[in-house]
Amino acid sequence: MATAIPSIACLGVIGRNNNPLHTSIFPSYDPSNNSFRPVRTPLQFSLILSSTLDVFELRSRQNAAAGVGLTGDFGLLHAVDDRLAAYGFETNTGTRFVVIIDMRGRRIDGALAAGLDGRDRRLAGAAAGLREGEMRPVFKAMQGAYIRLLQNPFFDPDEHSPPTGQGGAKITNKKFADDMRRIGEAWTPGITNL
Amino acid sequence: MDEYPAGSLDHSIPFLLTLGTRTNTPYDSGLSAALKEQAVLIRSELPPLESDQAHALLRYIQDRDASQIPCNGRDASERKYRFRIKTAERSLLLPPRRARLPEGIESPPPTAVLHSPYSPLSPVSPLYPDGLIDTQWIRKHQDLVPAVLLCFYTLTSDQSLATLCDNQIKTDVNNIRALLSQSGYKTRLAVVLLSDHVASSSSVDGLQDRLEIIRRGCGLDSKALFLVPGSDSQEELERVAENMLTTLYVVSVEYYRDLGRHARKKRGRGIVPQPTIPPTSGTSQTLSLAGWNVRYDFKSAVFAEYRLEMDVALRSYEQAYENLLSSELMELIPSWSPRWNEARFLADVIAVRCLRCLLWNGQHSAAARRWLAHRERIADFVDRRGRGTKNYGWEAWEARWAIVMADLIDKIDIPELYPATLRLYLPPEKSVMGERLQPWELLHHPGYWYRLAARHLQARKAFAYAIPEDDRRSPSDSPASHVAKSAFAYDTYMCPDPYEEYPLGRLGVDHGKMIIDCLMRARAEFLKRHQTRYAAEVSLECARDFAMADDWQTIIDLLRPMWKELSLRSEGWIAIAEEMNWALRTAAMEVDDAEMVLLADWELLSRDFSKRPKWHYDITRSLEDVTLSSKPSVSIRDGQLVSFISASFLFQSEEGKAGQSVRGQLSIKSNAHVGSAPVVLSTVYLSFDGSLDGIILRHHETAPQSQGKAVITTVSLTKQADNDDSQPTVPAEVGSGVTLVGSANLTLRPGQALVFNMEVPLREPGETRVDSLTVNVATEMFDLRQELALQERGNENLWYISPSATKHVAHPQPLVVRVLPRPPKMEVRCPVWKEQYYTDEPIDLEFEVENGEDVEALATLDVVLFGEKPPVFTASIPGHEDQTSSSIRSEETRLSGAPMGTIGSLKSLTVRTRLPPIERSSRYDLTLKVTYFLPTNPGTPISQTAIFQLNVVNPFEANYDLLPRVHPNPWPSLFDPDTISLPITNDSDDTTPQPPTGISQAWSLVTRYASFASEPLLVTDVDIAIQPSTTSRCTTTTKHTNLPTSGTGRLIHPKTIEEATFNLSAQKLTIDDRSHAPLDISLIIKWTRPNPDTPNTPNTTSLPIPRFTLFGTEPRVLASVTHRRGARGSTPLITLTITIENASNHFLTFGLAMEPSEAFAFSGPKLTTASLLPVSRRVVEYRLLPFEVGPTVGDGAGGGGGGGDGDGAEQGGAAAGWWIRPGLVVRDKYFQKVLRVIPAGEGVRGGKEGFEVWVPRLVAGGGTVG
Repeated sequence: MATAIPSIACLGVIGRNNNPLHTSIFPSYDPSNNSFRPVRTPLQFSLILSSTLDVFELRSRQNAAAGVGLTGDFGLLHAVDDRLAAYGFETNTGTRFVVIIDMRGRRIDGALAAGLDGRDRRLAGAAAGLREGEMRPVFKAMQGAYIRLLQNPFFDPDEHSPPTGQGGAKITNKKFADDMRRIGEAWTPGITNL
Repeated sequence: MDEYPAGSLDHSIPFLLTLGTRTNTPYDSGLSAALKEQAVLIRSELPPLESDQAHALLRYIQDRDASQIPCNGRDASERKYRFRIKTAERSLLLPPRRARLPEGIESPPPTAVLHSPYSPLSPVSPLYPDGLIDTQWIRKHQDLVPAVLLCFYTLTSDQSLATLCDNQIKTDVNNIRALLSQSGYKTRLAVVLLSDHVASSSSVDGLQDRLEIIRRGCGLDSKALFLVPGSDSQEELERVAENMLTTLYVVSVEYYRDLGRHARKKRGRGIVPQPTIPPTSGTSQTLSLAGWNVRYDFKSAVFAEYRLEMDVALRSYEQAYENLLSSELMELIPSWSPRWNEARFLADVIAVRCLRCLLWNGQHSAAARRWLAHRERIADFVDRRGRGTKNYGWEAWEARWAIVMADLIDKIDIPELYPATLRLYLPPEKSVMGERLQPWELLHHPGYWYRLAARHLQARKAFAYAIPEDDRRSPSDSPASHVAKSAFAYDTYMCPDPYEEYPLGRLGVDHGKMIIDCLMRARAEFLKRHQTRYAAEVSLECARDFAMADDWQTIIDLLRPMWKELSLRSEGWIAIAEEMNWALRTAAMEVDDAEMVLLADWELLSRDFSKRPKWHYDITRSLEDVTLSSKPSVSIRDGQLVSFISASFLFQSEEGKAGQSVRGQLSIKSNAHVGSAPVVLSTVYLSFDGSLDGIILRHHETAPQSQGKAVITTVSLTKQADNDDSQPTVPAEVGSGVTLVGSANLTLRPGQALVFNMEVPLREPGETRVDSLTVNVATEMFDLRQELALQERGNENLWYISPSATKHVAHPQPLVVRVLPRPPKMEVRCPVWKEQYYTDEPIDLEFEVENGEDVEALATLDVVLFGEKPPVFTASIPGHEDQTSSSIRSEETRLSGAPMGTIGSLKSLTVRTRLPPIERSSRYDLTLKVTYFLPTNPGTPISQTAIFQLNVVNPFEANYDLLPRVHPNPWPSLFDPDTISLPITNDSDDTTPQPPTGISQAWSLVTRYASFASEPLLVTDVDIAIQPSTTSRCTTTTKHTNLPTSGTGRLIHPKTIEEATFNLSAQKLTIDDRSHAPLDISLIIKWTRPNPDTPNTPNTTSLPIPRFTLFGTEPRVLASVTHRRGARGSTPLITLTITIENASNHFLTFGLAMEPSEAFAFSGPKLTTASLLPVSRRVVEYRLLPFEVGPTVGDGAGGGGGGGDGDGAEQGGAAAGWWIRPGLVVRDKYFQKVLRVIPAGEGVRGGKEGFEVWVPRLVAGGGTVG
């Protein structure tokens, strides 16, 4: 029997002014026709990313009250439904990374799973859920990519998050997009380094 | 939850039925008609109670009904009991314990055992013969068979009736008891007696007895009889009621424990009971042992739930669930059988009850996991055994399952999920922490569950809409074969058949409504938790379904506030805004909301949005299909929409002057979709802050413009005519100031920029700023106004030179021009301004104020003198009184607002300012500020300021030499009483000044003064002023100046040195006083400016001379010479007089030695001794005859100054004489100290190696020089 495991469905970078900077969408396994396609339309992902802003706001309000959350890792923001869940991270400059996980995005073939030794099979079975902090490598990788982007002398952060607090341009850097794509495709549950 | 049969999912609460009080709600037995006729009637013979007390008690009990309170064990300590309360007046019906045999069966076998009508054993039961359990059974315990029957009676206080009534009560209770036991139910009986009398202490004993008698007579437990004393107090009543209910609760729990025990006992028997009659129809299959076990487990679980033993209940439920889904039960049920759906239903019910138990225990994540597990299990089951999960029936169940969870969360009432906590989901409980959790296993608030349900409902709709037409036809219209085929194709568990789900030709299930219902509930939850963006997303989804339902107005009501308020645009979530726009536009179109259509169309023109193919993108056509009641007028704030128009403004220069104009460039860019229709702006209003109010540009159709990237137009602006008030486009607040009007072609093509060059006149000084731009589009159909903020980015100021060329203008604030004040044409001049003014001179200044304006001016004058300790001055203005300034601070005197009256155009006025003589040299700033108003613009003051620098300098400087001389008068002698005055006695009060009788000295003061003025000055007199001293007296004896004695003075040119000599005679007042005496003198120069026209009174400049010291006790040796013509030729005979003064009190002896010299011969003592008495002088004379070996010309240069005599005649010729140095040494014999010989007269000078004597060369004709 095949087992569904989580995968990244979408990576989003949101600027300080709540402006979308980057969105990468990744296809999920569709068992109905045994193919890969995104579970939602770009508009729907856009809506999901936008709705995480509510959570960021709520959390920062809570964190400010409780004096916690200094690491910037917001963990699970919310589960959009029983399949998609949004995880968030905020840098200290206010840039936010959102990972939308599709809990049934990949499928481990039953035959394949049977071939694995006991430990791996357990892993595959357990991978149905996610541990707290499982997203940390993703955020770390995203932040690394973002830092590399910022180090680019031709990249002007103010253009993307103007200090006036209004909007901002999207990131068009190809290398950054490639980094996001790599992160989104490479991640599987339990991975510790991207 | 509502879709499940009533009661199936409710939380089980002990059931208490009251009997014997009149109520407003009639008793409803809840029995089905079939069972009603077999029902057991329990009846009380006594009339129902109607007293207030009884009603109050009943109401109190009813208020305690726990069926609606949250299902959680939180306040278990406070809530001592939970009851579901039902009331009956006199009678109640209980379901029969034994079902009757059905009609058709003629001869029951003798072994036939009758069973409960709810059992699958009884043929009348719908479960017969192989059903498991159904809602009926749950309802039987929840609604029909009470755990406690509480009978109300009155305990009469009337002694005469007491026994009778008590007996009646006893009879009645016994009767009920008998009926109850006949019915076979173990319902506990309890009696409450309401005393109709206020209890008094005397009757307490009697009452106790009566109660005891009644209790025994009825055979009641002591816990089952309650007395409510006849008191009016509500508190008392409540106390009794609380007490009673708490007691009864224990009883009821006991009741359910008995039932549970019974169920477990039956399970423990492990046998399959035989039905009353063996089944003959269907499969003839009876319920298997596993089935019975499920039934028994379920029963014990429900009874445990009654007792609030949730752990026990959960265990039993789980056991039942596992058995139910095991291979022995559900796997065996064929999917076509109705039992299949019944089993699914039972699985659902058990799962829900499990969930409730978990939630009750606070195991939220476990509950969520259970929820998921049930779904997976059933999905798997349906996939394998049923009709799969790819149909509307499954999606319907999925939706229902999500809603059930949402409802459960609501019912359980989790305070950690209250909106106020701002928590969206609960953290996992401790037991599962650290495990790999599905995010969904963290219990989210109901909004998410409703949202999930909505998604499934949408899927259900999609599946329903995909049903082929054949199946949608009603079975009566379809061929039988087809009906048979389709009967098994669809999963109809708890949902209608395909021909009902989506019937052909008529309305079926209203999916839209269901979806909207869920979404709206979700939305409400999200909004409660400030998830506005998520709520917007949900609203958008809602809108889609409203659109299906043609409920356009609701869409607008729903989306419009979000469309307006959400910061989607400013944050750049363009795709979302676009979605909303289209949704709103479509809806607005339908409800003829022209305004909304315009707004959406206007915004959608922007290229930021994706282009919809085949859309006209023409704002003028947007209202084509809209029915208009009136001409819509839309006003759009800046930033409200993503505007396809952007505007910028640039002043060419940073500064301008009032009254002049500055060049500005307005550019309006279009970012509309390529291919969209050009927009014709009717007017453009540029609002200003500062010099003017605004500029209106009107559209003026011209020949077709170029298609280039930019169109540059130069607009000439004219002042708006006053009567031109027909422009509604100008905001109302405008009007008072100046508005300029221009016209240009305002057709804006997509991607094009309209550039307008204009000359902006500046009126008032200060800052003039371009505020905003308002763009108006007026057509026959509508008016639209868009406000735009002008982009202000200091580093992107591009000035269009030509349509294709721009240049960068460095202008940090492109929207601002600094307006400098209008240059005043009033001129302030000082016709005679001198570079220098002098101290001690009154300064008169004349200023000319000339009005260069075209019209007369009403002016005032401010004069400020600024500097160190400025004097108070006077200003006189013709036609006005003189005004004196006042000192404001130590460094400023000011004359403010002196009226100058009206100065005619091109006329001038002379203002005189007079400063008193200033003593010190100093520097002042004199500021004249003429402030004037022109009658043409009386509100605007114009000012002209002139600053003059006043240099006050000392016109003279001088240096001084005080040279000793020999006083001709003899010194007083101590041996001559006439020459000394007697010492002044202390007691004498004679204050008349005594004539000085002390020693006297003669001095010569040589002053050399120079004019430091910038021009020649006329010096009329030079004098000295001697400060009187207390110990001595000093007078001027003679004065030598080179000024004419006539008093007309002499013109002293700058930087020339003039000399004046004053001979002084000083004398001590007394002879005893021989101390030093200071001498303070100041030089006084009287002078005027050499101005023949204005003969001024002379100014007096006083120059203080540094202090000299006279007298002293040291002896002095003074040398003076006189020249006489010698006997031989040109060599004069020189008499050298050495005067030795001894002012001390000692007798001094001096040795004089004259060395012979080659330069002269002398007569006189070569070596002599002079003894001097105290206070005495002696004179030693030498006669010198110089040899005729005078130095060559030039050697004697400068010799003229010898001895300090400044006689210019000596300089007349270098050969006029020469110096000789007599080697005279005067030695104090006692101290062996050589005294310096001091030159004391002309012809003697001090030198380094002794004094020198001037030898004049005798010219032919003889006579000495000097």
